[in-house]
Amino acid sequence: MPNIKIFSGSSHPDLSQKIADRLGLELGKVVTKKFSNQETCVEIGESVRGEDVYIVQSGCGEINDNLMELLIMINACKIASASRVTAVIPCFPYARQDKKDKGFFDIPVDNLYAEPAVLKWIKENIPEWKNCIIVSPDAGGAKRVTSIADRLNVDFALIHKERKKANEVDRMVLVGDVTDRVAILVDDMADTCGTICHAADKLISAGATKVYAILTHGIFSGPAISRINNACFEAVVVTNTIPQEEKMKHCPKIQVIDISMILAEAIRRTHNGESVSYLFSHVPL
Amino acid sequence: MPIRRFGGHRSLVSHSQTPKLSYGYTKMNISRSGYRVFSANSTTACTELAKKITERLGVELGKSVVYQESNSETRVDVKESVRGQDIFIIQTIPRDVNTAIMELLVMAYALKTSCANNIIGVIPYFPYSKQCKMRKRGSIVCKLLASMLAKAGLTHIITMDLHQKEIQGFFSFPVDNLRASPFLIQYIQEEIPDYRNAIIVAKSPSAAKRAQSYAERLRLGLAVMHGEAHHSESDMADGRHSPPLSRTTTGHTGLELPLMMAKEKPPITVVGDVGGRIAIIVDDIIDDVEDFVAAAEILKERGAYKIYIMATHGLLSAEAPRLIEESAIDEVVVTNTVPHEVQKLQCPKIKTVDVSMILAEAIRRIHNGESMAYLFRNIAVDD
Repeated sequence: MPNIKIFSGSSHPDLSQKIADRLGLELGKVVTKKFSNQETCVEIGESVRGEDVYIVQSGCGEINDNLMELLIMINACKIASASRVTAVIPCFPYARQDKKDKGFFDIPVDNLYAEPAVLKWIKENIPEWKNCIIVSPDAGGAKRVTSIADRLNVDFALIHKERKKANEVDRMVLVGDVTDRVAILVDDMADTCGTICHAADKLISAGATKVYAILTHGIFSGPAISRINNACFEAVVVTNTIPQEEKMKHCPKIQVIDISMILAEAIRRTHNGESVSYLFSHVPL
Repeated sequence: MPIRRFGGHRSLVSHSQTPKLSYGYTKMNISRSGYRVFSANSTTACTELAKKITERLGVELGKSVVYQESNSETRVDVKESVRGQDIFIIQTIPRDVNTAIMELLVMAYALKTSCANNIIGVIPYFPYSKQCKMRKRGSIVCKLLASMLAKAGLTHIITMDLHQKEIQGFFSFPVDNLRASPFLIQYIQEEIPDYRNAIIVAKSPSAAKRAQSYAERLRLGLAVMHGEAHHSESDMADGRHSPPLSRTTTGHTGLELPLMMAKEKPPITVVGDVGGRIAIIVDDIIDDVEDFVAAAEILKERGAYKIYIMATHGLLSAEAPRLIEESAIDEVVVTNTVPHEVQKLQCPKIKTVDVSMILAEAIRRIHNGESMAYLFRNIAVDD
């Protein structure tokens, strides 16, 4: 493919390499370093004049540093006369503080979904999927969960927090029946994992045989890993929007779904001016 | 006898408009809006300067909570109403530069969406000021930062000793570039016993202008050091030399451009006589101290019996305290624009000058709409 360059920030070089491999390209040469006063310095190592540039940087790890690095890289490409600069941000930081809605940006946003990859994983890795039940750990995820449940043609359930009085701990109430079923918890991100661990306990005590958790972004900060190790999950599945190598060493229950092909295909389609909406319901090969 | 009437006086007092200060008092509904001072730093070492400034102003620091969540996202909560007020955000830049920038941006935006009137950033040490020139396919981060601050809602910035004065041009709003030199000069006069036998030294030709302004005000001599042992940053300012330094193989054949001669790198020399004197090296930022240590060695060889370094911003990164401790430098004097308590513990040669007074005065004058000229009265053109 002519006129396209892919650069990687320092947040997730592994994913960027996978994306570049799928596209049959080499990653662009860029040097990112920090001066001794901790200021970020970025230098693009090849010409980007007139090129369609994609910068892959995920909002994970030291978020402010990675964000600054991304901004500086975009700025550097623009003043080096790149024709178009697109930021590929698998895990968008600060998403819980504001809504990551389309209306908040002045520039085109393509929000891809991990759903097709999740469905594929469920069918391939959970033998009893035809009789499972998809559960949302909070009321806000109901739409996401029903969408998956419909595509698999299975039932769904949800857990919602009931607060009787102020200063009283929330009670978690399960809405739906999970007895003798395999329960699959689905959520978009897991940070400290307090919610999903409580949810898992609830499901087991309500009669579920096994509990899986499938999360798009596995941030896993703070006590998350020890909580997962102590909880009763069969497996905790995340995508590789955030690097998981280190965490997998400490927690054998974590498994990873590779979504590099979705991002690679999105990049290819954007570059060729084709429609990206095909990716909302299909996983590319 | 004509009846005296007060009709003639009526024209002097207009009844149609609201009387402004006409009888020596201000009416409640046109009184000046209040101002609040916030600090957007999350660590206590950084809020020290903000505390000093608010003490001098006689106000309380605004109530807000700034912290990093477990996934290292920054969170800012402003705990009081700021509607219609002038807000000053004091932000010191510690080692974690990007986090401090993010804290400032988030707080500024939070205040903007809470209907603050003016949001003035007080950023004594402005970060990324060394990345203000175009380098080979680099980014002019300073310009990027200026755009980000404007977008986040800042309407004014107070800073101190900007690395390059031209950075003021990157901003679309006013920038007040205060000077620390009066404080450092006062330190020299009060704390260095025989300062009249001193000579001001510029570590490199680029610092000569600043050194000269100090020398003028103290009525001392000037010395300039030249020649570098290693390739310095400032030389890479524009990586795209015109004409090219070396022949590129992809160039057009037949187009013989004259090649520019590469600069000679002479060994370090001192222009000026430092024999039997106290040498005072003057600079704006002291960060990597290898250059300073090398300069101090040379000055010692040439006969200087005491060596001081005066710098506004004491970043003192990495091995700096240890290198200073082991070197020929007698004292390093910096201001408290950048927190350096840790470095002071490691190296007792580091001394601090408090500049909260001028920052507090700047805040007060900006809020009252008074002239700032008084703060610049002793500043030379080249400072």
